[in-house]
Order: sequence, then C-alpha cells, then structure tokens
Amino acid sequence: MKLLYKTTRDYLIASVSILIFTGVALFMILQKAVGDEMNEQLELQADEIFANARAGNFMDAPLIRIVKVSTQTTPGITFGDSLLYDHIQKEFEGYHYIRETQKIGPDHYQAIVMTSHIGWDQYYLTILYIFLLTAVLLTGSGVLINYYSNKKIWTPFFKNLKNVRNFSVSSPTELQLYESSINEFKELNDTLEDLTKRSRKEYLALREFTENASHEIQTPLSIIQSKLDRMSQLEISEQMAGYIVQAKSGVDRLAKMNKSLLLLAKLDNNIFVDKQEIQVHEILEFQVRNMEDLFHNKKIVLTEQIKTAIATSDKYLAETLIYNLLSNALRYTPVHGEVKINLKNQSLSIANTGVAPDFPSEQIFERFTKSQLHVTSTGLGLAIAKEICLMNQWELSYQFQEGWHTFLVKFA
Amino acid sequence: MKLLLIEDEPLLLDEMEGYLTEQGYRCEKASNFQEGQEKLHLYQYDIIVLDITLPGGSGLSLLETIKTENKNPGVLIVSAKNSLHDKISGLELGADDYITKPFHMEELNARIFALLRRRSFDGENEIKVDKLVINMAFKTVCFNDEPVGLTKKEYELLLYFVINKNRVVSRQSIAEHLWGDHYDLADNYDTVYVHINTLRKKLAAYTVNDYIKTVHGMGYKWKYESF
Repeated sequence: MKLLYKTTRDYLIASVSILIFTGVALFMILQKAVGDEMNEQLELQADEIFANARAGNFMDAPLIRIVKVSTQTTPGITFGDSLLYDHIQKEFEGYHYIRETQKIGPDHYQAIVMTSHIGWDQYYLTILYIFLLTAVLLTGSGVLINYYSNKKIWTPFFKNLKNVRNFSVSSPTELQLYESSINEFKELNDTLEDLTKRSRKEYLALREFTENASHEIQTPLSIIQSKLDRMSQLEISEQMAGYIVQAKSGVDRLAKMNKSLLLLAKLDNNIFVDKQEIQVHEILEFQVRNMEDLFHNKKIVLTEQIKTAIATSDKYLAETLIYNLLSNALRYTPVHGEVKINLKNQSLSIANTGVAPDFPSEQIFERFTKSQLHVTSTGLGLAIAKEICLMNQWELSYQFQEGWHTFLVKFA
Repeated sequence: MKLLLIEDEPLLLDEMEGYLTEQGYRCEKASNFQEGQEKLHLYQYDIIVLDITLPGGSGLSLLETIKTENKNPGVLIVSAKNSLHDKISGLELGADDYITKPFHMEELNARIFALLRRRSFDGENEIKVDKLVINMAFKTVCFNDEPVGLTKKEYELLLYFVINKNRVVSRQSIAEHLWGDHYDLADNYDTVYVHINTLRKKLAAYTVNDYIKTVHGMGYKWKYESF
C-alpha cells in the first residue's frame, strides 16, 4: 500500500470517528440542557398554577389543566412524554408534561402542564447534516491537502529513489541527489550520500586491493617457480621429481589465476584507455596460425573464414579476447571434434562441438564458472572476454544448439 | 658479455645470477635504486635486466638515466606489474623487451640471447652444436650441410633447447615459449610431447646422438657432450 493512501485512509477514519463521537456528545449534552430547562419551566408553571388554585383561581388554558383527584393519589411530581394530535400540521407531535399532585385544603389536585418538544427529530437531522457536511469538508480538504502537498514533498524522494536504484558502486560518477526542504528527507539524503560514498570508497579500495595483492603475489610466485626449476636441475629420485611436477602445476595454476585476476581488476579500474584502430583479422590470423598445432594435436577439424574487420580497442585487450575465446574452444572441444571460426561483417563467431554445459548457460560469463570436467581451469577466461566486450561496447553472446557451442562477438 | 641485474628480491636475484652465470655471462647485481644508479654510472654493460619496482625509486627513471648517459646497453624490463602502462612507457623510454613475473629462467635467458643477437651488427647468425648448424637469420637448420626440414615451432623448440643447454626445461616453460603465456596451457602439454618426439625423430634421421633427454617427467634437457 502506498504511503499516501495509507495516511489518507487513516486520516479519513480518524476524522469520521471523531466527528461521530463529538456529534453524539453534542446532541446528548444539548438534550440534557434543554430537557432540564424545560422541566424547570414546567415546575415553575405548575407551582404558579397551584398558587393560583390556592387563591381559588382554577385556570384551564390550552396545555394547562388542573383537576381534582381522589385523596388516594399521593402528592408529588412526575414527568412524562405523550403524543398529541396537531390539527394544523395534521400529525402527532411529541409533548413533554409535568404531572404534579398537591394537597389544597382537604382535597387533592393534580396539575398537568405540557410543552412541545420543539421537534427533536428536526434537531437530530439538523445536527446530523451539519456534522456530515463538516466531515465531508474536513476529510475532503484533508485528503486533497495531503495528496497534493505530499506529492510535492515526496517528488524529490521518488527521484532520489530512482537514482539510488540506478546507482552502482562501480559506476564512474557519484550518486546525484535532489535537494529537499524537509528535514527528514535532508537527513535521508545525507545518510544515503554518506552510505554510497563509503561503499564506493570501499569498493574502490577493494578493487585496488585486488590489484595490489595480485602484484604482490607475483614476486613470491616467481621465487617458488624459479626454486622449483632449480630443484629440477639436481640429481633427484623419480618420486621427488613427481612432487616437483605437482608443485609446479600448482604454481602454474596460481600464476594463471593471479594474472587473470589482475587483468580483471584492471578492467574494473578502467585502466585501458589507449584505444586505437585494430585489424581484427590480422590478430585472429596470427593466433589461429600460432595455435594450429594445438588443435591439430587434438585431432580437431579447424575451418576458418577470415575476412577483413576493423575495430577500435586497446590492442592488448583485443588480443586477449581472441586468445581467450580460442583457448576456450580448444579446451572444450573433444578429440576429433570440430571448430569453426568465422570473421565477417564486423562480427566474429567461434563455434565448437562439445557436450552441453553442466551449468546454466546464462552463467557462462560469470567469474569462476567452470565445467566440472575441467577443474583446473581458472573459470575467468570468459569473464575477462565479457568485460573486454563491455568496455569496448561490443556484443558478446553465447548459445548452445544441436551440439555446437557458439560465441559471437559483434564489433561496434 | 657483461650483465647488470637490478632486482630487489634477493632470492630471485641470486637465481638469475646463478643461471645466467652458468650460461657464460658475467653478472653484476644491484638490489636497489641507488646501487643500480652507481653501477650504471661507473661501468659499461651489454645488457641490463631491470625491475621496475625498486626500493628508492622507479626502474623507469633508472631507464631514463641509462639512455641519457649514452652508453646504450640493451635493456630488458622485468616487472611484477603486468601493466600495459609500464610496458608502454618502458618501451617508449628505450627498453628493448619486457618480461613479466613469474617467468622461467630459460625464457629470460632466451630473451637476453635474442636481445644480444639483435644488438650486435656483425653478430653471429649461426650456432653450431656438434654437426648441427642453426642459422638464426634464415631460421634454418642444417646437419652436415644437409638441411633439416623443421616446422616453425620445431625450430623455435630446438633453438630454445640449444640456448638453454644442459638445463632441465619444464613443459610449462616450453609451452609458454612456443605459444605465449596468454592461455592456460596445462591441457596442451601432450602437444609439447608431440613436438619433442617429432623433433627427435627428425634429428635421428641424421645422427645417432639423442640430444634431448627426458628427465623423470619433469621436463627435457638438451645434452651434448663435446667429444
């Protein structure tokens, strides 16, 4: 439920109940006050009638009567209501009366004085109408004021909400917020600004950390690698040699992983700004020739169709992209499989035969996604390819269809 | 040939010195900026192996000193920062080659070898091993004046072995040298094996000497005892 609806609804409920309560209270107080006043007046009248009666003057006027009653009737005062027929309005009307019995000499006399209720029904209705009108006006204006002023007050909030939603810590610019004159919103803005600034800072620090950490890892890795190489030169047992080979393959994986992470960190840090015109076909041609024997050794049938394609990119990145796609094809094509490379119309497709991926295909470009069949892979090659394409505003897509994995790069 | 190795990591520096000395170079060491600057000022070197991140200053500014002092040695940059920026500025400042850590000693040696050859105008274009003659200008190999037909990769492999003779060269090192270190080559070690076997067979057609020894599955070694 929208805040605006909720506050308006609550306001409506509250004002209606207050109005009902006050209306009923007002009616009851009025009724009591008027009733008391009437009774007083009736008593006074009855008193005067008896005073006159004692003086021997038994008056009999409309709505005033004094009659002699049996001595059994106890003296006292009772009030009551009755209906009388109104000849003029041709309807029964409610009347209030006092019936007072007093002793005058030996006899008992009873006086009845009546007075009209002055149309209580009318009062009810009048009060009801006035209160209904007040309720409608109050709530109506309340809702309108609420609605419009809230709308105005909340506009910056919704704009900011949209900005926050679109904001990413990795975006190059800081979060832009609309000013508001409301203290609460100002506070919210300040908090948001502070929060995003801090998370951005932490994110940047993390990115830098990744880069620095990767740098720092390179040297110790070099030491391990060179010392393992040195150990290989010694006269050692076959068992020892086996251990060295295993250790080396670990170092090798670590080195590759580190290099990939470093490259990703650099891509994240937007370090590659040296864009130039590159001849995609030349790079592709060179790499395919360079890798030919690797494909050949796996008995993979390689067919290629390379036409001229020019793109704008950092050269090293374009090379890395193509290397990564080719080495992916080499790795995942089974022995005796097939690879098709096609460069034309500013788009490069590299397709290879193979089994369906054992993970959801939309995760293929995510970091550390890799097939269970190739646990030694870093799982970063395609993530790097994706980042490179993003940076150059190229489109990179993947699909698996009828036993073919196809990667398609559309150079912008 | 005189080399100056400028590297702040002592273990790595010793390793480089050890292997390059074995390969017949005269090596001097510097482990920080000042030391490097002093040695560069005082002596003449053929090749300088230069680390970029050094205590006391950047290797890049040392590179500027080297170039302004007009002694013109070959410069091979070694860097833990696989950063293009360093590479570009290094090469712009006059470095001749660039190698990133971690690297194999054989690769470093091969780079130094190539650099020296490029820089000597009247340099030897031929290497002779036994009756095997490798012509590096034409990238051909002859045995007893008879050409041995090698593919490009086989030629590169042979040269890599010969340059790093008497050293166990790992499959990783060979794979990276032949195909570059861009991709994960662990799957492709059998291709190294295939190339080595072909090379062996091709050489076996000319000589009974088996130059390439397999060492416990760790790698291969070019062994040639001169008689």
